[in-house]
Amino acid sequence: MESHYFFPPASAYPLNRFLFALKSNTAVRERYAAAPDATMREHGLDDAARGALGAGDRDRLVALGAHPYLVFMAQVRLTMARDPGSFEYF
Amino acid sequence: MPLVAAFALPHTPQLLVRPPTEDRELVLRVHAAYAEVKRRLVAARPDVVAVIAGDHIEGFFLNAVPALAVFVGARASGEFGRYRYAFDVHEPLARTIVEQGIEAGFDLTYSQDVPLDYAFYVPLHFTMPEPRLPIVPLYVNVYLPPQPAPRRCYAWGQALRRILDARPERVALVASGGLSHFPGTDRYSSPDFDFDRALLASLAEGRGAETARLTGEELDKAGNVELRTWITLLGAAGDARAEVLCYEPSWHHGNAVVAWPVGA
Repeated sequence: MESHYFFPPASAYPLNRFLFALKSNTAVRERYAAAPDATMREHGLDDAARGALGAGDRDRLVALGAHPYLVFMAQVRLTMARDPGSFEYF
Repeated sequence: MPLVAAFALPHTPQLLVRPPTEDRELVLRVHAAYAEVKRRLVAARPDVVAVIAGDHIEGFFLNAVPALAVFVGARASGEFGRYRYAFDVHEPLARTIVEQGIEAGFDLTYSQDVPLDYAFYVPLHFTMPEPRLPIVPLYVNVYLPPQPAPRRCYAWGQALRRILDARPERVALVASGGLSHFPGTDRYSSPDFDFDRALLASLAEGRGAETARLTGEELDKAGNVELRTWITLLGAAGDARAEVLCYEPSWHHGNAVVAWPVGA
Protein backbone atom coordinates (compact mmCIF):
# COMPACT_ATOMS: atom_id res chain seq x y z
CA MET A 1 0.00 0.00 0.00
CA GLU A 2 1.16 3.51 -0.78
CA SER A 3 2.00 5.48 2.35
CA HIS A 4 -0.45 8.13 3.55
CA TYR A 5 2.16 10.79 2.86
CA PHE A 6 3.76 9.87 -0.43
CA PHE A 7 6.53 11.22 -2.61
CA PRO A 8 4.99 14.11 -4.55
CA PRO A 9 4.97 13.23 -8.26
CA ALA A 10 6.54 15.86 -10.49
CA SER A 11 3.36 15.87 -12.59
CA ALA A 12 1.48 17.29 -9.60
CA TYR A 13 3.89 20.17 -9.02
CA PRO A 14 1.60 22.92 -10.40
CA LEU A 15 -1.25 21.64 -8.23
CA ASN A 16 0.92 21.41 -5.10
CA ARG A 17 2.42 24.81 -5.78
CA PHE A 18 -1.06 26.29 -6.04
CA LEU A 19 -2.25 24.59 -2.84
CA PHE A 20 0.83 25.95 -1.11
CA ALA A 21 0.03 29.47 -2.37
CA LEU A 22 -3.59 29.07 -1.34
CA LYS A 23 -2.69 28.28 2.25
CA SER A 24 0.27 30.65 2.55
CA ASN A 25 -0.61 33.70 0.53
CA THR A 26 -3.53 35.91 1.53
CA ALA A 27 -3.69 37.67 -1.84
CA VAL A 28 -3.92 34.37 -3.72
CA ARG A 29 -6.58 33.15 -1.29
CA GLU A 30 -8.66 36.30 -1.78
CA ARG A 31 -8.28 36.15 -5.55
CA TYR A 32 -9.32 32.48 -5.51
CA ALA A 33 -12.37 33.25 -3.38
CA ALA A 34 -13.44 35.93 -5.86
CA ALA A 35 -12.63 34.07 -9.09
CA PRO A 36 -11.72 30.44 -8.49
CA ASP A 37 -11.54 29.14 -12.04
CA ALA A 38 -9.61 32.10 -13.42
CA THR A 39 -7.16 31.92 -10.51
CA MET A 40 -6.57 28.21 -11.05
CA ARG A 41 -5.97 28.81 -14.77
CA GLU A 42 -3.49 31.59 -14.01
CA HIS A 43 -1.57 29.12 -11.87
CA GLY A 44 -1.41 26.54 -14.64
CA LEU A 45 -3.84 23.96 -13.28
CA ASP A 46 -5.15 21.51 -15.86
CA ASP A 47 -8.78 20.44 -16.30
CA ALA A 48 -8.54 17.52 -13.88
CA ALA A 49 -6.95 19.58 -11.12
CA ARG A 50 -9.39 22.46 -11.57
CA GLY A 51 -12.32 20.06 -11.46
CA ALA A 52 -11.13 18.31 -8.31
CA LEU A 53 -10.21 21.48 -6.46
CA GLY A 54 -13.34 23.30 -7.58
CA ALA A 55 -15.40 20.42 -6.19
CA GLY A 56 -13.35 20.36 -2.98
CA ASP A 57 -12.82 16.65 -3.59
CA ARG A 58 -9.93 15.60 -1.36
CA ASP A 59 -9.72 12.05 -2.66
CA ARG A 60 -9.55 13.16 -6.29
CA LEU A 61 -6.93 15.78 -5.46
CA VAL A 62 -4.80 13.23 -3.63
CA ALA A 63 -5.23 10.77 -6.51
CA LEU A 64 -3.85 13.47 -8.81
CA GLY A 65 -0.74 13.68 -6.61
CA ALA A 66 -1.71 16.55 -4.33
CA HIS A 67 0.02 16.33 -0.98
CA PRO A 68 -2.70 15.43 1.56
CA TYR A 69 -1.41 17.92 4.07
CA LEU A 70 -1.52 20.77 1.57
CA VAL A 71 -5.10 19.86 0.68
CA PHE A 72 -5.98 19.83 4.38
CA MET A 73 -4.38 23.14 5.32
CA ALA A 74 -5.55 24.98 2.20
CA GLN A 75 -9.07 24.00 3.23
CA VAL A 76 -8.52 25.07 6.86
CA ARG A 77 -7.22 28.49 5.86
CA LEU A 78 -9.97 29.03 3.28
CA THR A 79 -12.55 28.25 5.97
CA MET A 80 -10.87 30.54 8.49
CA ALA A 81 -10.88 33.37 5.96
CA ARG A 82 -14.47 32.75 4.87
CA ASP A 83 -16.04 32.25 8.27
CA PRO A 84 -13.79 33.65 11.03
CA GLY A 85 -16.70 34.04 13.43
CA SER A 86 -17.19 30.29 13.68
CA PHE A 87 -13.90 29.81 15.57
CA GLU A 88 -12.97 30.34 19.19
CA TYR A 89 -9.61 32.10 19.56
CA PHE A 90 -7.36 31.35 22.52
CA MET B 1 25.17 22.82 30.76
CA PRO B 2 23.05 19.72 30.86
CA LEU B 3 19.47 20.15 29.68
CA VAL B 4 17.26 21.77 32.28
CA ALA B 5 13.90 20.56 30.92
CA ALA B 6 12.44 18.34 28.20
CA PHE B 7 8.86 18.20 27.02
CA ALA B 8 6.85 16.86 24.10
CA LEU B 9 3.81 18.91 23.17
CA PRO B 10 1.02 18.81 20.60
CA HIS B 11 0.52 21.69 18.18
CA THR B 12 -2.68 20.96 16.34
CA PRO B 13 -4.08 24.35 15.30
CA GLN B 14 -7.52 23.49 16.68
CA LEU B 15 -5.99 24.02 20.13
CA LEU B 16 -5.31 27.66 19.22
CA VAL B 17 -8.27 28.35 16.96
CA ARG B 18 -11.14 26.08 17.90
CA PRO B 19 -13.71 25.31 15.22
CA PRO B 20 -17.15 24.06 16.32
CA THR B 21 -16.11 20.51 15.40
CA GLU B 22 -13.79 20.34 18.44
CA ASP B 23 -14.80 19.36 21.97
CA ARG B 24 -14.22 22.51 24.01
CA GLU B 25 -13.67 20.67 27.28
CA LEU B 26 -11.01 18.47 25.71
CA VAL B 27 -9.25 21.53 24.31
CA LEU B 28 -9.28 23.13 27.78
CA ARG B 29 -7.82 20.00 29.36
CA VAL B 30 -4.90 20.16 26.93
CA HIS B 31 -4.53 23.86 27.77
CA ALA B 32 -4.31 22.90 31.45
CA ALA B 33 -1.44 20.53 30.63
CA TYR B 34 0.25 23.31 28.66
CA ALA B 35 -0.11 25.53 31.74
CA GLU B 36 1.65 22.91 33.85
CA VAL B 37 4.48 22.81 31.30
CA LYS B 38 4.74 26.58 31.44
CA ARG B 39 4.94 26.45 35.23
CA ARG B 40 7.73 23.89 35.03
CA LEU B 41 9.55 25.85 32.34
CA VAL B 42 9.57 28.92 34.54
CA ALA B 43 10.87 26.85 37.45
CA ALA B 44 13.65 25.35 35.31
CA ARG B 45 15.01 28.88 34.53
CA PRO B 46 16.20 28.13 30.99
CA ASP B 47 18.12 30.72 28.97
CA VAL B 48 16.75 29.39 25.71
CA VAL B 49 14.03 27.07 24.43
CA ALA B 50 15.14 24.81 21.60
CA VAL B 51 12.10 23.52 19.74
CA ILE B 52 12.24 20.45 17.51
CA ALA B 53 9.30 20.50 15.12
CA GLY B 54 8.25 19.17 11.77
CA ASP B 55 7.61 21.60 8.97
CA HIS B 56 4.04 21.39 7.68
CA ILE B 57 5.22 22.55 4.28
CA GLU B 58 4.82 26.04 5.75
CA GLY B 59 8.43 27.12 5.67
CA PHE B 60 10.00 24.75 3.21
CA PHE B 61 8.27 23.79 -0.02
CA LEU B 62 9.27 21.60 -2.95
CA ASN B 63 12.01 24.01 -4.01
CA ALA B 64 14.13 22.42 -1.28
CA VAL B 65 13.24 19.72 1.23
CA PRO B 66 15.76 19.60 4.07
CA ALA B 67 15.79 16.47 6.21
CA LEU B 68 17.18 18.32 9.23
CA ALA B 69 17.45 22.09 9.44
CA VAL B 70 18.21 24.88 11.88
CA PHE B 71 16.91 28.43 11.75
CA VAL B 72 19.80 30.82 12.31
CA GLY B 73 18.19 34.17 11.64
CA ALA B 74 17.80 36.99 14.15
CA ARG B 75 14.07 36.58 14.56
CA ALA B 76 11.72 33.76 13.63
CA SER B 77 8.23 34.82 12.65
CA GLY B 78 5.04 33.30 11.37
CA GLU B 79 1.32 33.94 11.24
CA PHE B 80 -1.88 31.99 11.52
CA GLY B 81 -5.18 33.72 10.87
CA ARG B 82 -5.27 36.75 13.16
CA TYR B 83 -2.19 35.63 15.12
CA ARG B 84 1.26 37.07 14.45
CA TYR B 85 4.32 35.63 16.13
CA ALA B 86 7.93 36.72 16.25
CA PHE B 87 10.53 35.22 18.55
CA ASP B 88 14.12 36.23 19.07
CA VAL B 89 16.47 33.47 18.05
CA HIS B 90 19.46 32.58 20.24
CA GLU B 91 21.89 33.06 17.40
CA PRO B 92 25.11 31.91 19.13
CA LEU B 93 23.51 28.63 20.15
CA ALA B 94 21.78 28.12 16.79
CA ARG B 95 25.02 28.74 14.95
CA THR B 96 26.95 26.41 17.22
CA ILE B 97 24.39 23.66 16.61
CA VAL B 98 24.83 24.04 12.85
CA GLU B 99 28.60 24.16 12.97
CA GLN B 100 29.12 21.34 15.42
CA GLY B 101 26.26 19.28 14.02
CA ILE B 102 27.89 19.33 10.60
CA GLU B 103 31.26 18.59 12.16
CA ALA B 104 29.65 15.58 13.84
CA GLY B 105 28.49 14.24 10.47
CA PHE B 106 24.93 15.58 10.22
CA ASP B 107 24.60 17.51 6.97
CA LEU B 108 22.24 20.13 8.32
CA THR B 109 20.48 22.73 6.26
CA TYR B 110 20.33 26.15 7.78
CA SER B 111 18.14 29.09 6.91
CA GLN B 112 17.97 32.75 7.83
CA ASP B 113 14.78 33.27 5.88
CA VAL B 114 12.02 30.76 6.42
CA PRO B 115 8.59 31.45 7.94
CA LEU B 116 8.06 29.88 11.32
CA ASP B 117 5.69 26.92 11.14
CA TYR B 118 2.73 26.73 13.51
CA ALA B 119 4.26 23.57 14.96
CA PHE B 120 6.63 25.99 16.70
CA TYR B 121 4.33 28.78 17.77
CA VAL B 122 1.18 26.93 18.82
CA PRO B 123 2.91 25.25 21.78
CA LEU B 124 4.93 28.40 22.51
CA HIS B 125 1.70 30.44 22.55
CA PHE B 126 0.65 28.47 25.61
CA THR B 127 3.96 27.67 27.32
CA MET B 128 6.43 30.52 26.71
CA PRO B 129 7.46 32.14 30.02
CA GLU B 130 7.32 35.92 30.43
CA PRO B 131 9.48 37.73 29.67
CA ARG B 132 9.91 35.68 26.56
CA LEU B 133 12.99 33.57 26.09
CA PRO B 134 14.90 33.29 22.82
CA ILE B 135 14.34 30.13 20.86
CA VAL B 136 16.24 27.88 18.48
CA PRO B 137 13.97 26.33 15.82
CA LEU B 138 15.15 22.86 14.84
CA TYR B 139 13.40 21.33 11.85
CA VAL B 140 12.83 17.68 11.07
CA ASN B 141 11.16 16.75 7.80
CA VAL B 142 8.09 14.73 8.71
CA TYR B 143 5.60 15.20 5.84
CA LEU B 144 7.58 15.02 2.60
CA PRO B 145 8.97 11.54 1.86
CA PRO B 146 11.58 10.32 2.05
CA GLN B 147 11.81 11.59 5.64
CA PRO B 148 14.83 10.90 7.84
CA ALA B 149 14.79 7.43 9.39
CA PRO B 150 13.84 7.22 13.08
CA ARG B 151 17.32 5.88 13.91
CA ARG B 152 18.81 8.95 12.24
CA CYS B 153 16.56 11.25 14.23
CA TYR B 154 17.60 9.49 17.43
CA ALA B 155 21.29 9.79 16.53
CA TRP B 156 20.81 13.48 15.77
CA GLY B 157 19.23 13.92 19.19
CA GLN B 158 22.24 12.23 20.80
CA ALA B 159 24.61 14.52 18.92
CA LEU B 160 22.49 17.51 19.85
CA ARG B 161 22.75 16.57 23.50
CA ARG B 162 26.55 16.47 23.30
CA ILE B 163 26.57 19.90 21.68
CA LEU B 164 24.22 21.38 24.29
CA ASP B 165 26.06 19.82 27.22
CA ALA B 166 29.22 21.66 26.22
CA ARG B 167 27.46 25.06 26.05
CA PRO B 168 27.06 27.57 28.88
CA GLU B 169 23.33 28.14 28.31
CA ARG B 170 20.58 26.45 30.28
CA VAL B 171 18.53 24.83 27.52
CA ALA B 172 14.96 23.58 27.63
CA LEU B 173 14.24 21.15 24.82
CA VAL B 174 10.74 20.85 23.40
CA ALA B 175 9.55 18.35 20.79
CA SER B 176 6.42 19.51 18.99
CA GLY B 177 4.24 16.91 17.34
CA GLY B 178 1.82 14.06 17.48
CA LEU B 179 0.53 11.86 18.44
CA SER B 180 -1.56 9.85 15.97
CA HIS B 181 -3.35 11.87 13.29
CA PHE B 182 -3.81 11.67 9.53
CA PRO B 183 -4.55 15.17 8.21
CA GLY B 184 -5.74 15.31 4.63
CA THR B 185 -6.23 11.57 4.26
CA ASP B 186 -9.18 9.19 4.40
CA ARG B 187 -7.93 8.06 7.82
CA TYR B 188 -8.47 11.51 9.37
CA SER B 189 -11.29 10.41 11.65
CA SER B 190 -9.66 7.12 12.71
CA PRO B 191 -6.26 7.69 14.32
CA ASP B 192 -4.31 4.81 15.87
CA PHE B 193 -4.79 5.50 19.58
CA ASP B 194 -3.66 1.97 20.48
CA PHE B 195 -0.24 2.79 19.04
CA ASP B 196 -0.16 5.99 21.10
CA ARG B 197 -1.08 4.27 24.36
CA ALA B 198 1.52 1.53 23.88
CA LEU B 199 4.12 4.16 23.05
CA LEU B 200 3.31 6.29 26.10
CA ALA B 201 3.46 3.22 28.35
CA SER B 202 6.91 2.33 27.02
CA LEU B 203 8.16 5.90 27.42
CA ALA B 204 6.90 5.94 31.01
CA GLU B 205 9.09 2.89 31.61
CA GLY B 206 12.13 4.71 30.24
CA ARG B 207 12.23 2.71 27.02
CA GLY B 208 12.54 5.72 24.72
CA ALA B 209 15.55 4.27 22.93
CA GLU B 210 13.28 1.64 21.39
CA THR B 211 11.69 4.32 19.21
CA ALA B 212 14.93 4.43 17.22
CA ARG B 213 14.04 0.97 15.92
CA LEU B 214 10.69 2.01 14.48
CA THR B 215 10.56 2.24 10.70
CA GLY B 216 9.26 5.09 8.62
CA GLU B 217 6.59 2.74 7.29
CA GLU B 218 5.39 1.97 10.81
CA LEU B 219 5.17 5.66 11.64
CA ASP B 220 3.17 6.41 8.51
CA LYS B 221 0.83 3.50 9.15
CA ALA B 222 0.19 4.68 12.73
CA GLY B 223 -0.39 8.33 11.81
CA ASN B 224 2.77 9.18 13.68
CA VAL B 225 5.07 10.68 11.06
CA GLU B 226 5.60 13.56 13.52
CA LEU B 227 6.99 11.17 16.13
CA ARG B 228 10.36 11.91 14.50
CA THR B 229 10.47 15.09 16.57
CA TRP B 230 9.91 13.09 19.78
CA ILE B 231 12.50 10.52 18.71
CA THR B 232 15.01 13.31 18.21
CA LEU B 233 14.25 14.58 21.71
CA LEU B 234 14.55 11.04 23.08
CA GLY B 235 18.04 10.82 21.63
CA ALA B 236 18.85 13.85 23.75
CA ALA B 237 16.85 12.91 26.85
CA GLY B 238 18.17 9.34 27.05
CA ASP B 239 16.39 6.76 29.17
CA ALA B 240 14.67 9.12 31.56
CA ARG B 241 11.19 7.88 32.45
CA ALA B 242 8.52 10.01 30.84
CA GLU B 243 5.75 11.57 32.85
CA VAL B 244 2.55 11.75 30.80
CA LEU B 245 0.84 15.00 31.81
CA CYS B 246 -2.11 14.37 29.54
CA TYR B 247 -3.30 12.12 26.78
CA GLU B 248 -6.48 13.42 25.19
CA PRO B 249 -7.59 11.61 22.06
CA SER B 250 -10.03 13.70 20.04
CA TRP B 251 -12.04 12.48 17.05
CA HIS B 252 -8.97 13.03 14.85
CA HIS B 253 -5.90 13.53 17.03
CA GLY B 254 -4.04 11.97 19.96
CA ASN B 255 -3.03 15.02 22.01
CA ALA B 256 -0.19 14.12 24.34
CA VAL B 257 1.76 16.32 26.74
CA VAL B 258 4.82 14.59 28.19
CA ALA B 259 7.67 15.65 30.46
CA TRP B 260 11.07 14.04 31.04
CA PRO B 261 12.95 14.62 34.29
CA VAL B 262 16.24 15.73 32.79
CA GLY B 263 16.86 18.72 35.04
CA ALA B 264 19.67 18.76 37.54
